[in-house]
Amino acid sequence: MNNSSLWIVLQRMRMPFLVLVISYTISIIGFLLIDGMDNQGNIYQMNIFDAFYFITYTATTIGFGEIPYEFTYHQRVWASVVVYLVVLSWFYSIGSLISLLQDKLFLLEIKKAKFVKQVKNIKQRYIIILGYNYTTSEIIKKALCEGIRTVVIEKDKQKVDHLLLENFTPYVPALEGDAFDPKALEAAGIKSKYCKAVVSLFEDDALNLRIALTSKLLNKHVTLAVKSTTQNHTENLYDIGVEIVENPFNIIASQIQMALTAPNLLKLKNWIHKLGTLDTPLNKLPHGKYIICGYGRMGHSIYDVLQKNNIDSTFVEIDKSKFINLTKDEESHLIMGNGDDKDMLINAGVKDAISIIAGTNDDTVNLSILATAKKLNPKIITMARENEIDDFSIFNHAKIDYVFMPSKILINKTSNALINPFSDKFIQILEKQNEKWAQHLVRVLIETIDHNPKLYELTLNKTDSPQVFNTLNENKKIKLSLLKTSLRNHHMSNNIVPLLLVRNHTDSLLLPAWNTLLEKNDKILFACDENAIEDLEYICQNIYEFHYALNGEERTILNKFKRKTK
Amino acid sequence: MNFDKVVAGFFIILAMTLNFGFVYGDINDLVAHSKYELFAAIVINIIATILKLGDKTQIGSVLLATSLVAVIQLVAAATIWAIAGYSDSASIEISSIVISLSVGALLANITSVILYIGETLKSKR
Repeated sequence: MNNSSLWIVLQRMRMPFLVLVISYTISIIGFLLIDGMDNQGNIYQMNIFDAFYFITYTATTIGFGEIPYEFTYHQRVWASVVVYLVVLSWFYSIGSLISLLQDKLFLLEIKKAKFVKQVKNIKQRYIIILGYNYTTSEIIKKALCEGIRTVVIEKDKQKVDHLLLENFTPYVPALEGDAFDPKALEAAGIKSKYCKAVVSLFEDDALNLRIALTSKLLNKHVTLAVKSTTQNHTENLYDIGVEIVENPFNIIASQIQMALTAPNLLKLKNWIHKLGTLDTPLNKLPHGKYIICGYGRMGHSIYDVLQKNNIDSTFVEIDKSKFINLTKDEESHLIMGNGDDKDMLINAGVKDAISIIAGTNDDTVNLSILATAKKLNPKIITMARENEIDDFSIFNHAKIDYVFMPSKILINKTSNALINPFSDKFIQILEKQNEKWAQHLVRVLIETIDHNPKLYELTLNKTDSPQVFNTLNENKKIKLSLLKTSLRNHHMSNNIVPLLLVRNHTDSLLLPAWNTLLEKNDKILFACDENAIEDLEYICQNIYEFHYALNGEERTILNKFKRKTK
Repeated sequence: MNFDKVVAGFFIILAMTLNFGFVYGDINDLVAHSKYELFAAIVINIIATILKLGDKTQIGSVLLATSLVAVIQLVAAATIWAIAGYSDSASIEISSIVISLSVGALLANITSVILYIGETLKSKR
């Protein structure tokens, strides 16, 4: 019990305690005043202890009988009064205590105290997740897999119960409270040195902004991953200093952009996000006429992309309020009407369109638009935005070519940025490359490794790779190629491709050459297979394996001696 | 005028005066000290303690602590007296233990009253 709940108990129990003490006192005084009679018929007066003893067992309804001598009638009359007085006051006290234990405020305090204790006991890196839903629960799972603990603040009691039923291991502490409340954030340990990041992916942009502001004021070193769907809020978030701003609609737009111009880049990106392998067929989108239903936040993002690529597009939007503040250029592409309507679609040119994107925020409308379009033009490429995770199986059966799920995109983006920041950096650099480069890399990866290589991050520091670090400390030169050495035969090399090398947190080397000289505190991202990871870890940590990889011989005392005599 | 303050002040000061009344007299002779006065002192001290419960302020906590000290000392004195009363009549040794424990409680009570007065003087209302 922490301070605050203890104080509530004390304050509420004041009156019951007073009633008890006073009723005891009255009863004891009564027995002291009334004369009793001993066995010989002498008059005697009860002493204080005897009276107290009698009251004590009478009040608790134990009833040992009349002591020290049998009571006189006067005493019995008083005793019957006393029984009602003290027994009732006991019941009253116990009743208040029980009602206190059922008191919501009190229970909340106890829960909060328990939560704070649990958070304090986490002695490793953890992230605070605000709001519990499908998206965040997936992030929690991914984080726990990587050995990062999580703490949740959720307003809805039912959702907190759902989280408890999920039975995450290790335990995920959850607090019932408002995510924007600084006290709740403090209870969740935002000021702790173990707190790595705060994740806020609420639908409400203003709420996200408020949380970001509060969090940065409470602890400016904490990393923030915040969702934002408008330009205005995104700028505000960057001004506060938020590290990771996620706009699902921008991400969808950039996916379309990639599918239009560089499908191999998209393939690489999906592979890193674990959404596909390197041998999945290319998601190339052809150039031609596009029809987009819905001109909201997602529509705007797609419009920009299509304009940039000089693609003919028609937008269909039913909501009049979205027609305000449009440029002339935008207006020329926009038709007002219901995208669901057959005539409307024909009017928009569905028969000669190459692709249709259903991007409204209503799943049923999206499905129905695509069904109508498919009927009118069987060859059309269909793309849909899926809003609710629960509709997953329906979308799956609808045979839609591309399904965009903002929530799934958020899961991948957030977990990658927080849990594997290094591969996130690789993606950022990757996005600036061209199609030819991506095609080459895909081929190299498939040839040297396989169609689904694993990613491995290595930091050349004292804890992760002591052998390499110590040797570099002695000013010896080590080439990157040391790390690909096979431990079965040092002339051979493992299936491994270095993707990125970051030096001093700033200089980054994309696809470093094998003869690159290593330096202390380099961070390297590899694509490799299971076997290569094992060998790599041995080389970095085991003194004998490191020696073998470096010199091509076993480390023995004899060898050392031999080298000295040479 | 705050009625709560009157009640609290009344009990805190009564606790001290009763305690003093019990202690006053020859330290070696229990006859000079009324057991009923000790009983009253204990009851009033417990009430004073309860009235101080749940006050979260700094001074409130110290007040509660002093009261707890007084109650524990007085109850100890009463217990020793009760046990001695059952085994044999009060000897000089028992009497001095009972009285010295009560004197200790008196000190705690005086501290409590001083703190209480200090807090009252500090308050502007």
